[in-house]
Amino acid sequence: MTTTVIGAGITVEGEVTTDEDIVVAGTLRGKVQAKEGVTIESGAVVEADVAASSLVIAGALTGNVSAVERVDLQAGARVIGNVKAARVTIADGAQFKGNVDMDV
Amino acid sequence: MATDVSIIGQSTRVRGRIIGTADVEVNGFVEGEVAVSGAVIVGVHGMVGAGVAGRRIVIRGSVRGDLVGVESVTVEEGGRVVGDVRAPSVAIAPGALVRGYVQAGETDAMPAIARVSESAKVAPAPAIAVRSAAKVQAPAALVGASGRHAVAAPVSSARAPMAAQQSVPVSTRAGGQTQSPAPKPPAPQQATRQPPPAPVVPALKKVRGQMAKKRER
Repeated sequence: MTTTVIGAGITVEGEVTTDEDIVVAGTLRGKVQAKEGVTIESGAVVEADVAASSLVIAGALTGNVSAVERVDLQAGARVIGNVKAARVTIADGAQFKGNVDMDV
Repeated sequence: MATDVSIIGQSTRVRGRIIGTADVEVNGFVEGEVAVSGAVIVGVHGMVGAGVAGRRIVIRGSVRGDLVGVESVTVEEGGRVVGDVRAPSVAIAPGALVRGYVQAGETDAMPAIARVSESAKVAPAPAIAVRSAAKVQAPAALVGASGRHAVAAPVSSARAPMAAQQSVPVSTRAGGQTQSPAPKPPAPQQATRQPPPAPVVPALKKVRGQMAKKRER
């Protein structure tokens, strides 16, 4: 299984493009384009526009998000930005400020 | 999932830099610098377009930029490095390609850098001369200009003259660069100059003696 992991203690500044899954537990600033899923773990800090197939957010994200399939904001997530996806879930305990666009 | 190890996957491209305090494994492509205080592994399919700095650096892929290891740099078989390599312990395996100035060990090599940068501060005139020499050498050095800017300015100014005379041993180079402060340089210069006259004189005497013998005949 090939995955890109940005672990805790690591900061990536710039544009990340990938065909595989990305897991962010550290800091990411810039832009993310993934063909597969993106996971932003608890404790992660992402200041970027994110485009992916699906997105799971448990950490802090500032930026616009668009997913082909779905976006899940889990409890403890802190999202500031617009979310665009066919399916969006916001768990109880998630902080969110922005627009939701669920047009297909 | 283990998120304590950072991995840039094979199909991942980072147009920017990676910094931090943990370990990083690069199997994809990073266009900018990788500067962490942990270990850095550039995998077989990994490519880094700028400098790499870390505690321990292992290169199995390609790097176009300078490698600075706090502890060690290892370029393994199949690894390709175009740039300078600096670490207390440097290992280059057979089958690896390194194109650049390599500085292993810190006992006398590191003070040499300090001395050169000091001389650049004290005497501006030689520093300019050094800079122009570095410019002339730049095309021949074959090191990508893109990789050079990643390293801090004082280091690059100190390193430029080194790249200009790659084949010269460290000790003589340090002596040559620090002519203006000159506490040490005169000693090695005298040591190298004095021996040659000694053999010349006996040789002349010998020739004269032979000529004198011919005249006698």
